[in-house]
Amino acid sequence: MTTLMNLPILPTAIVGSYAMPGWLERLKTEYFARRISRHDLDEIYDTAVKAAIKDQEIAGLDIVTDGELRRDNMVDYFLERFPGVQIDRSSKKFYYDFYDSSVQGKLPAASLGLVPDFKFLHTFTERQTKFSITGPHCLAKRIRNQFYPSEEALAMDLARVMNLELRALASAGANYIQIDEPYYSGFPEDLPWGVRSLNALVEGVDAKIAVHICYGNRYGKPSWEGSYRYLFPTILEAKVDQLTLEFARRGGEDLDLFKEFKPPFELGLGVIDVKIHEVETPEMVAEHIRKALCVMPAEKVYILPDCGCFHLPRDVAFAKMKAMVEGTRIVRKELGR
Amino acid sequence: MILKLNHLQGQAAATTAEEAIKTICALMEEGHLKKDQFARLQIELDWIQYKQNFREVVIATHGYRANGEPGPIMDVHVDTRQVVPGCLRVEFLKALARANSNGSQAPRDRLPLEDFRSLRHSIVWDFNKLYWARLKDWELSTGRGYEQALPGGQSDGHNRQAIADSAAEFWTLLRDLDNRNQLPPEIFILEIGVGTGQRCGLWLDHFRELDRQRQTRYYPKLRMLLGDYSLATLEMSKPAVKDHADLCSFLVLDATNPLKTLAFLRYKIMHVHSTNVYDNLPDEEVVRRDGRIYFVQVRAYLPMQEVSRMCAGYGLAPDKMRQSVQRILEGAFDDFGGHERGVALWREIWKAMRLEERLVLVEDLPDFPFPDGLDAAKLEDVLEKAPSDFRLHLSSGALESFLNTLPLLHPRGYLQVQDIFVTDLDQYRLGFYGPGKLDGSLLNWVNGALLKEVAERAGYDVHFAPFHYRKGSRTSTLYTTRRE
Repeated sequence: MTTLMNLPILPTAIVGSYAMPGWLERLKTEYFARRISRHDLDEIYDTAVKAAIKDQEIAGLDIVTDGELRRDNMVDYFLERFPGVQIDRSSKKFYYDFYDSSVQGKLPAASLGLVPDFKFLHTFTERQTKFSITGPHCLAKRIRNQFYPSEEALAMDLARVMNLELRALASAGANYIQIDEPYYSGFPEDLPWGVRSLNALVEGVDAKIAVHICYGNRYGKPSWEGSYRYLFPTILEAKVDQLTLEFARRGGEDLDLFKEFKPPFELGLGVIDVKIHEVETPEMVAEHIRKALCVMPAEKVYILPDCGCFHLPRDVAFAKMKAMVEGTRIVRKELGR
Repeated sequence: MILKLNHLQGQAAATTAEEAIKTICALMEEGHLKKDQFARLQIELDWIQYKQNFREVVIATHGYRANGEPGPIMDVHVDTRQVVPGCLRVEFLKALARANSNGSQAPRDRLPLEDFRSLRHSIVWDFNKLYWARLKDWELSTGRGYEQALPGGQSDGHNRQAIADSAAEFWTLLRDLDNRNQLPPEIFILEIGVGTGQRCGLWLDHFRELDRQRQTRYYPKLRMLLGDYSLATLEMSKPAVKDHADLCSFLVLDATNPLKTLAFLRYKIMHVHSTNVYDNLPDEEVVRRDGRIYFVQVRAYLPMQEVSRMCAGYGLAPDKMRQSVQRILEGAFDDFGGHERGVALWREIWKAMRLEERLVLVEDLPDFPFPDGLDAAKLEDVLEKAPSDFRLHLSSGALESFLNTLPLLHPRGYLQVQDIFVTDLDQYRLGFYGPGKLDGSLLNWVNGALLKEVAERAGYDVHFAPFHYRKGSRTSTLYTTRRE
């Protein structure tokens, strides 16, 4: 297991995305309508990412992301970069919509060009960073497969191409990488090959690897409901360091699974509900953490929101992060750490 | 001048159009209308669907800036249904004189009941509320139930085949979830606006029977929530669902914000249904003219002629008429020489009530009261492909209800709304869609096209299906599907 240095006990971070400002949504649309240039849009992104980094630092997070503000959504940003994935660019009405995409031949190995995003993040913060990418199971579910014999075969080949990118990211200094796989919960029957493709993705990548599994956050609402029980025991075969799960919205019932199965992973504990605008109190956060510490040692717990903050207004997201940090400090104090 | 025909009633349109053109030209020659006014004048010929409405034969609506300064535009609306040959000259003159006074003179022929304001905050909604609160009084006075006032004499919400199909569809959803081991232990269903409770009762009957035939044991898991803002209505609905009493809960809730009452069931409700609720929720309208957006402000009034007649008939002092209206709204019918006379006066006031209008530039209103879920930028997006000069409903209450209901839906849940929807913004060019009066209540078509646009941003696709169970029905069913 990769250990990150200089972090306090119960390190705090966001899952990946930060609040998408309304003005940035409009400017993305302006770009699609060809009313602003790519150069201007890139400058706008740089400015927005710097602001998101600053917000996270001021909120007191120990680990910082780029807020994923350059991404239209968690799928298109990656699929657009895959040579061999055909995109129908007329299929999108609103920037957040998914493109219709397909594969009609074997995917060639090529750089996805994510390293500059990481380097930009690394340049503008001195804190520990986390870089997130969408996993092969999720991407395979969004692509119309017209070549591979199965979804699993497509996911395995996506993983093969993405593995090169992960290695490049690790070489560039990304020592904490998170793989987002929200569709596991919608298609629990896929889990065995989902885990196989995940393992192929992270093979030989020298970084702490987390996998984030939630019940969906598309348009700020859940896509599925159920229990994390479906993950076990199959998920135990995943070659990752950390499982990042949502508990704030759904309650802590599934924490017992960690007692029952004793997984070797760290736990990324979701303590902030990102689907409501009401801001949690620090004490509510602390209570979530205390419950988790009944089943996991504090050394193996990271403190996070349930999912990305993409759909929250910026002021709400910021207030929630502050509450998360303050709640964590309460527990650290109780632990004497 | 532009003459717009907003309906397809050929004969009335042709006659009125000819007379309108002749009259306007004559008025200009006589100096009643300036040339620059003529150049910008837009005359709209409307066929008002509701025989009872808030319109006079001709109304002229001026554009204003928020500081009260008149703007350049003026729209004249003619209700072709009310036109009788030869009446237009007088009616045009009255309307133009009123519009040209810039609202500076107190109208002598009208008794205003409020200041200009958004339609949703108008006193007409207080009357609407009174109607539902004192429905029994109204029905006793008119001698007929409110359903009989509906077109077709009955609610489409009670159509047995439609209810049976709805129950069957829901059963299919549950079976699919069951097959995936995703059936929740409790299955929540919400009816917003329960009416007599008859629909809920029938729906549960059908579902129970299906469940029995197919031996699926879903019925005992159902939790039927009957929601209405009127406690009296909820009480009245109880007998209709008495056979399913163990599954039913009765909740007082605000139809514009079900989430407020039911936040604990966020993402838990499998099916939300309502019939003819949206068309009766507070609304407001905007007009797009010459590339700019105007907000329609209204002022309710009673024609002085009607005031005089009512005062004579009921022994009221004309200068106390506003107070009398207030007493009626408080339900103090007994103050008018007996309960029945008070209710009769209520009906007469409602029948006589009109709305005058003015248009205020939205850009002058920094605090423009857009309903939740909408702002100027989103409205501009919606209007991007819409007709250039037209008037549309914001359907504020319906929009708020819709947006405050969606978060209650389970990820596999759906919303069904039976109502009168404008499903395409182009339809606004072919008809006037309210407000109108239906018995003692207020009625507006619902801007379904706008709901559809807003829903997409909230992660739902909206579809409309004509209500095919009754020939001639104007109702359609809005239903949602999850947007991927």
